[in-house]
Amino acid sequence: MQETLATSTLLAPSRSSISTQERFSTAGQTSSTGPQPSRLSIIPPPSKSKGWNSGTKVRRMRRIIAEDPEWSLAIVPLLTELCIQHIVKNFQNNPILKQLLPEHQQKVLSHLSPELPLAVTANLIDDESYWRRCCLQRWPVCHVARHGGSWKRLFFERHLENLIKHFIPGTTDPAVLLDLLPLCRSYVRRLCVHQLLPPVQPPAPPRSGELSDSGSEGETEEPATDHYQLRDLVAGLSHLEELDLVYGVKDCGMNFEGNLFLFTYRDCHSLAATIKACHTLKIFRLTRSKVDDDKARILIRSLLDHPALEELDLSHNLIADRGARAAAKLLSHSRLRVLNLANNQVRAPGAQSLAHALAHNTNLISLNLRLNCIEDEGGQALAHALQTNKCLTTLHLGGNELSEPTATLLSQVLSVNTTLTSINLSCNHIGLDGGKQLLEGMLDNKTLLEFDLRLSDVAQESEYLIGQALCANREAARQRTLNPGHFMSPIVAKGPENPAR
Amino acid sequence: MNPPGPLGVLEEKEEEHLSTPILGPSIHSDNPQERIQARRLRIAARLEARRREALGEYLDGKKESEEDQRKSYKQKEESRLKLAKLLLCGTELVTNIQVATDIREIHRRVEEEEIKRQRLEKLENEVKTSQDKFDEITAKWEVGKQKRIPQDLWDMLNTQQVHCAGLIEDKNKLISELQQELKIKDDQYVKDLKKQSDDICLLLERMEEQVKHVMKTFRQELNYIEKAFEIERQELLTSNKKKWERALQAHNAKELEYLMNRIKKAEDYEKQLNRQRMWDWEEYNMIKIKLEQDVQVLEQQLQQMKATYQLNQEKLEYNFQVLKKRDEESTVIKSQQKRKINRLHDTLNNLRSKYAKQIKQFQEENQSLTSDYKRLVMQFKELQKAMRHFALIDDKQFREIWLMNEEEAKDLISRAFDVDRIIHTHHLGLPWTAPDFWFLRNVGPISQQPQKSATQIVEEVLMQAEEEGTEEAASEAESYLDLPRQISPKTTRKILMLLCDESGFLVESKLLSLLLPLEKNECYLLRLDAIFSALGIESEDDLYKLVNFFLKYRVYHSPSSQEQTSLLSALEPGEQPDLEGQKEESLVEGEPEEKEAPPSPRLIHPNDVLKILEAFVMGLKKPRDSRAPVKLKYVRDNSKDSAYWEALTTVIPDTTQNLWDALYTALEKYHLILTQRAKLLIENNSLEQQNTELQMLLQKYLDSKINSELQVPPTQVFRVPTK
Repeated sequence: MQETLATSTLLAPSRSSISTQERFSTAGQTSSTGPQPSRLSIIPPPSKSKGWNSGTKVRRMRRIIAEDPEWSLAIVPLLTELCIQHIVKNFQNNPILKQLLPEHQQKVLSHLSPELPLAVTANLIDDESYWRRCCLQRWPVCHVARHGGSWKRLFFERHLENLIKHFIPGTTDPAVLLDLLPLCRSYVRRLCVHQLLPPVQPPAPPRSGELSDSGSEGETEEPATDHYQLRDLVAGLSHLEELDLVYGVKDCGMNFEGNLFLFTYRDCHSLAATIKACHTLKIFRLTRSKVDDDKARILIRSLLDHPALEELDLSHNLIADRGARAAAKLLSHSRLRVLNLANNQVRAPGAQSLAHALAHNTNLISLNLRLNCIEDEGGQALAHALQTNKCLTTLHLGGNELSEPTATLLSQVLSVNTTLTSINLSCNHIGLDGGKQLLEGMLDNKTLLEFDLRLSDVAQESEYLIGQALCANREAARQRTLNPGHFMSPIVAKGPENPAR
Repeated sequence: MNPPGPLGVLEEKEEEHLSTPILGPSIHSDNPQERIQARRLRIAARLEARRREALGEYLDGKKESEEDQRKSYKQKEESRLKLAKLLLCGTELVTNIQVATDIREIHRRVEEEEIKRQRLEKLENEVKTSQDKFDEITAKWEVGKQKRIPQDLWDMLNTQQVHCAGLIEDKNKLISELQQELKIKDDQYVKDLKKQSDDICLLLERMEEQVKHVMKTFRQELNYIEKAFEIERQELLTSNKKKWERALQAHNAKELEYLMNRIKKAEDYEKQLNRQRMWDWEEYNMIKIKLEQDVQVLEQQLQQMKATYQLNQEKLEYNFQVLKKRDEESTVIKSQQKRKINRLHDTLNNLRSKYAKQIKQFQEENQSLTSDYKRLVMQFKELQKAMRHFALIDDKQFREIWLMNEEEAKDLISRAFDVDRIIHTHHLGLPWTAPDFWFLRNVGPISQQPQKSATQIVEEVLMQAEEEGTEEAASEAESYLDLPRQISPKTTRKILMLLCDESGFLVESKLLSLLLPLEKNECYLLRLDAIFSALGIESEDDLYKLVNFFLKYRVYHSPSSQEQTSLLSALEPGEQPDLEGQKEESLVEGEPEEKEAPPSPRLIHPNDVLKILEAFVMGLKKPRDSRAPVKLKYVRDNSKDSAYWEALTTVIPDTTQNLWDALYTALEKYHLILTQRAKLLIENNSLEQQNTELQMLLQKYLDSKINSELQVPPTQVFRVPTK
C-alpha cells in the first residue's frame, strides 16, 4: 500500500519520465510476448487487474497509443519484489538472507515454506514467526512457555524428542540423530523423552505365546535389549539443562510385555557416564524405568559433586533403602534443591538416612517421598531432622503408613520451624488424636500455607480448623509480599489481582 | 488498607481505553507520526490523571476517598476470596482422584504383600514336602538296588513310578494354580487399565469442568469489579466535573479581570514607552555629539602619538646603535678582563708561593725569636740578679745618703740651735736650753729598726715574761707598743707555750735531745723556732696572725669544738678581717682591757690546737703562694721617712720661729732706719757739695759780661740771694 502511494506521488509531477518508461514497457512487450504475460499473470494484481487487462487488449489492437489514462506503475512489480520472490523460490539451493535489508528479510521469511530442510534453515533463520509456522504445522498443540518462550527452541527440542522416541536401536541409523546435532546444538536446552524403544527382536513374536519360558529367555537376552545410548547426543548438546527420561514404551496397551520396560545395566552405566559428562545439567528426571537400588547407586555415584545439578527426580521406580541412602549421600555432596523419590520402596532405614542428611542440609527445598513405606520410624526421624533444618519448604509424605507418633513430633516441629510452607500427609493413619496434636502445632505456626490431611483418619473438625489456620497464614503471607512494595504503586496494583486469578 | 495508588492506576487505564478511540490518533495506526502523537497524548493523559488524582485526594479529604475505595476494594477482596476458595476447592476436587488412587494403591500393596507372603509360604511348604517325597524316592532307589528278585524290583519300580507321578502331579497342580493366579492378575491388569482410563477420564472431566467454572466465575467477578469501578468512576467523574465547572467559572472571572488589568497596563506601558523613546532620542543626540568630540580629540591624540612614536623610533635606533657599539666595547673589555684574570691567577700563584715562603720564614723567625726569648729570659734573670745586687747596693747607698743627709741636717740643726742660743743669749738675754728629740738621736734609716724575725719576738716575749713582775709598764710602753695590739703579751706567751707543748711532733727528735739540758726559756725558744720553721712562719706578721687565729677560732668555735668541718670556712672570714681588723683596732684602741678579759688560753682545749694549726696552715698557704715573689723583696716603708724629715725640719718650734720672725722684722725695721739715715747722710753730703758747685756757677754767670749787655739784667729781676 505504501509503495503504491509513494510511486504515484512520485510520478504525478514528472510526465516526461512516464513517456520514456512507457516506451520501454511497450518495447519489452513487443520483443517477448510469450513469457511476459505468463509471468505477469503469476503476480496477483492488487486492485486494477481488470483495467490493466483491458489495456493490453487495446494495446495489441493498436500499435501506437498516445496516452493511457488508466496506466499506473502500481501494477508493475518492483525489482526488489521480484528478487525476493526469486530468493524465496531458490532458498533451498542458495539461501540469501543476512545480506538483505531488514524489511526485505522480513518479507523473505514470511514467504518461506516450513518444509525447507533443517540443514538450510537451522543456523540461518532466527526469526520466531517462521519457526512458529513450522511448529504449528507439525504439532497442533504447542506450549511455548515450557520451552522458554522460544518457538525455535520448541521446534528443535520436540523434533529431537520425536526422533529419539522413534529410534529403534539396531534398525534406525544413528547418523540420523548425529547429523541433526550440529544444527540443534545451540538451541536445545531441555530433552524430555518419555519413550525409549527397545531393539526389535525377531524371535519376539513367537516367544510372546510361551509364557513359561519368557522369564528365562528375557534374562539371557537382556544385553540385547539395550536402549539407545544417549552419550554422543548429550555430549554434543552444549546447552542442555534438563533431561527427562523414561526407559519404557508408551501406549503399549494390551501388547504389554515385561521386556519392553527393561532398564539394563549397560543402559544404566552409559546414562551415568552421560550425565556425569554433562556439566550444564540442572534437572535430571528418570521416572517409570524400573531403577532398582544398584542402578540408583550407579547413577547417584556419577552425580556426586556435580557442578550444576539442582533437581533429581527418580519417582515411580524400585528404589529401596540402599538407594535412599545413596540419595542421602548425594544431598550432602551436591547443591540439590529438589529431590523426588515418590512411589518407590523406601522404608524406615532409608528415611532415617535421608533425615540424617537433611538435618544439616542448607540447599534442599523440596522433598517428595509419596507412596513409600517409611512408617513411623522414618517419619519420626524426618521430624527430628526438621527441627534443625532451616531450608526445606515442601515436604510430601503422602501414603507412608504414618500414624500418631509422627504426628506428635510433627506438631512440635510446626511450632518451631519457620521455613516450611507445604506439608502433605494424605493417605496415612494419623488418627483422631494425631489430628488434634497437629492442630495444636498448627495454631503456633504462622508460615505454613498448605497442609494436606485428606484420607488420613483425621477428625473433620480438626481438619477444618487446620484449614482455617492455613487460610489465616495465606492471608498473612499475601500481606507480607504486598507490604515491601507498598510505596510503588504498579506493584501494588498488580498485587491484589494476581492471587485472584 | 489499600492505598489509593492502584485505584488511580486502574482508573487511568480505563480512561485510557475509553479516550484513545475517541481522540483519533491511535497507537496501532500505520502512520508513525500519528503513533507518536498518540503515545504523547497517552503520556500526557496519564500525567494529567495522576495530577488530578493527587489534587482530588487533597481536595476531597480522606473520608470520602476511603469510602469510595472501600466499595471497589471490598468488591475486589470479596471476589478474590471467593476465587481463591473456588480454586482451592477445585484443586482439591481434582487431586482427590490422585489421593484416592494413592490409597487404593496402598491397599493393593498391602494385600499384594499379604498374598505374596502366603504364596511364598505355600511354595516353601510345597518345596519341603516335595523334597521329602523326593528324598523318600531316592532312598528307595538305594533299597531297590539291593533287591535281587525281579518281582520285587518291578513292584518297587511301580511304586516308585507312582510316587514320581504323584510328585509331578503335585508340581503340576502348583503350576496350574500359579498360572491361574497369573490369569487372574492379567484380568486385574485389564481391569486396572480400564479403571485408570476411567480415572483419567474423570480427571479430565473434572478439570474441564473446573476450568469452565473458574472461567465463568472469573468473568463474573471481573464484571462485578468492573461495575464497581464503573460506579466509582462515574461518581468521581461527576464530582470532578462539578469541581471543574466551578474552577472554570472562577477561572473565567479571573481571566476577565486579568484582561482588564492587562489593557490598562498596556496603555500605561505605551505612554511610558513614548516618554522613554523621547528621552532616549535626546540622550542619543547628546551622546552622539559628545562622542564625535571625543573622536576628534582622539584623532588629535593619535597624531601626537604618531609623532612621538616616530621620535621614539629614531631615539631607539640611535640607542640601538649606541648599544651595539657598547656591546663591541664590552666584548673588548671582556677579553681584557679575561687576560687580567689570567694575570691575577698568575699573581695569585706567585703570592701563594710567597705565602708558603713567608710561613717558612716566619717559622724560622719564630724559632729565632723563641731562642731570643729564652736568651732574654736568661738576661732577665741575670738582670734580676743584677737588680738584687743593685738593690743591695742601693740600700747601702741609700743608707749612706741617708746618713749624709742626716748629718747635714743635724749640722744645720746644730747651727740653728747655735743661732737660737745666740739669739736667746745675746739678743734677748734669755737663758737657752737645748731641746731633746728622739729623732735627733736617730742614726740611719728608720724602717729597718722594727723588722724582726718571729723568733726574736718570741725571745723578747719570753724574756719579757721573765721580767714581767719588775718592769711591766715600761716594756709595754716601749717596744711592744705596736706588736700584739689588742692581745696582751701574756696571752701571747701562753698561746705560744701551749703551741710549743702540743706540737712537739714538729720538732725533730734530735733537737729535743739537745734541748734537754737547756734552760726552760731557751728550750721553748728553740722548740718554737723549729715549729715555726716547720709551719712556715717567718715574719712577725705571721706570728700575729697565728695568735689572732687562735683567738678568733676560739671565739667562733668555743661553744662547739666538735664542728671541725667548718674550719676552712671559718678561716676565710678570719683572713679577711686581717685587714679590716686594723680599722677596728684603731676604733677600739681606746679600751684594750675589754678584749683582754675573754681571751684566756685556758679555754682553748689542748686537743683543738692541732686542728687550729691545720686550718691555719691551710689558710696561710694560699696567700703565701701568691705573695711569695713579692715578699721576697721587702719594700721599704717610706711613710715614716717624710715624717722623720718633717720632724727634723720642725726642730725649731713655731714659737721660736715667730719670735725669730718678729725679731727679724724688728731688726729689719731697725736696719731700714739705719740705712735711711745712712742714705740721708750721704744725700746731705751730696747736696752740700752741689750747693757749693751751684754757687760757684752762679757766680761765674753773674760775673760774665753778657749781663751787662742785656736790657734788663737778671740781676734786677731777682734778687740775688745773698748770703
